[in-house]
Amino acid sequence: MNVRVKAFARFREIIGSENTLQLNEGTPVIDALKTLSAGSLDFRDACFDKEGNVASHVVLMINGKRISSKDREKVVLHDGDELAVFPPVAGG
Amino acid sequence: MRKSIQHGAKIPPMLTRSEQDRYHRQILLIGEEGQEKLKSARVVIAGAGGLGCPVATYLAVAGVGHIRIIDHDTVDRSNLNRQILFWDKDIGLAKTWSAGEKLKSINPDIEIDAVQATIDDKTAPGLVRDVDAIVDAMDNYPARYLLNHLACTFGIPLFHGAIRGFDGQVTSIIPGKTACLACIFPEAPPIEIFPVIGVTPGLIGMIQANEVIKYLLGTGELLTNRLLIWDGLRSSIETIQVERDPYCRECSHLYNDGVMREKLK
Repeated sequence: MNVRVKAFARFREIIGSENTLQLNEGTPVIDALKTLSAGSLDFRDACFDKEGNVASHVVLMINGKRISSKDREKVVLHDGDELAVFPPVAGG
Repeated sequence: MRKSIQHGAKIPPMLTRSEQDRYHRQILLIGEEGQEKLKSARVVIAGAGGLGCPVATYLAVAGVGHIRIIDHDTVDRSNLNRQILFWDKDIGLAKTWSAGEKLKSINPDIEIDAVQATIDDKTAPGLVRDVDAIVDAMDNYPARYLLNHLACTFGIPLFHGAIRGFDGQVTSIIPGKTACLACIFPEAPPIEIFPVIGVTPGLIGMIQANEVIKYLLGTGELLTNRLLIWDGLRSSIETIQVERDPYCRECSHLYNDGVMREKLK
């Protein structure tokens, strides 16, 4: 299946604004992000914490709908999904 | 004031001749009635930095009648690439003093309340509870979460903006009706000394000011339940839908008790 990954802000600077991943149907979101990390250590460092979990402040959305904190480890992807990854900015 | 916006119950102040002249070009757009709404409004701007400077400048020239701007810092040379109310001659001065001086000069027909204070859980409640709108012009999430908590507690709209580098984000929050800051960003990003080009907070601050003006006038569509994302490197703006978290630590209780604000009075 194909999944589009849309990146924002700093993530966009690291991996570009859009990536299409070829994955097995039902791949967990976290595995899709690990696939991207395999190609970019900067993305891994920015997106994951030291324990290998997606950093808690990173906002994840599938097809425009936010994945809640409690669901982010178990949600899976389907063909044609758009996964958005967004690191909120903090400065003022 | 909040009630006067919604119900027109309060008699707005008449415009002086000076004000009619000063705001002539926007009275063409919003009418004297709209201008009087701005004149009777009270807005607090939390932070006099990269965001606070453009927000304050544009709300002042628009004629928002009472602007309270809060900061605890002094002007440093490294502020001057983005904090446009401060000039080279202001280095070392209190930001609030310097900002107050400029804002009073740019529009002597409004009241400026420049408060030298650190925004924390002791100072902030007294500084925000009497206003019609809170502008989040902070540079860290703990302070933002405090403003969001007070916005939800007192039922006051919160206008959020944040920036880093060429990137920015804006959303508007009506407590009890829309997603709050903790719904959208439940966890704070790591603290860093953020890089920034001055245009980014300039642009984001102006979107925040535009949101405040629309809210005070009761016109247009606010950025509620939407997060606007500015990508300055590509010159692109996207808005993404966001929604309330029914389990939100800050605002979920508002939906079980629609008279929360009345109860707290």
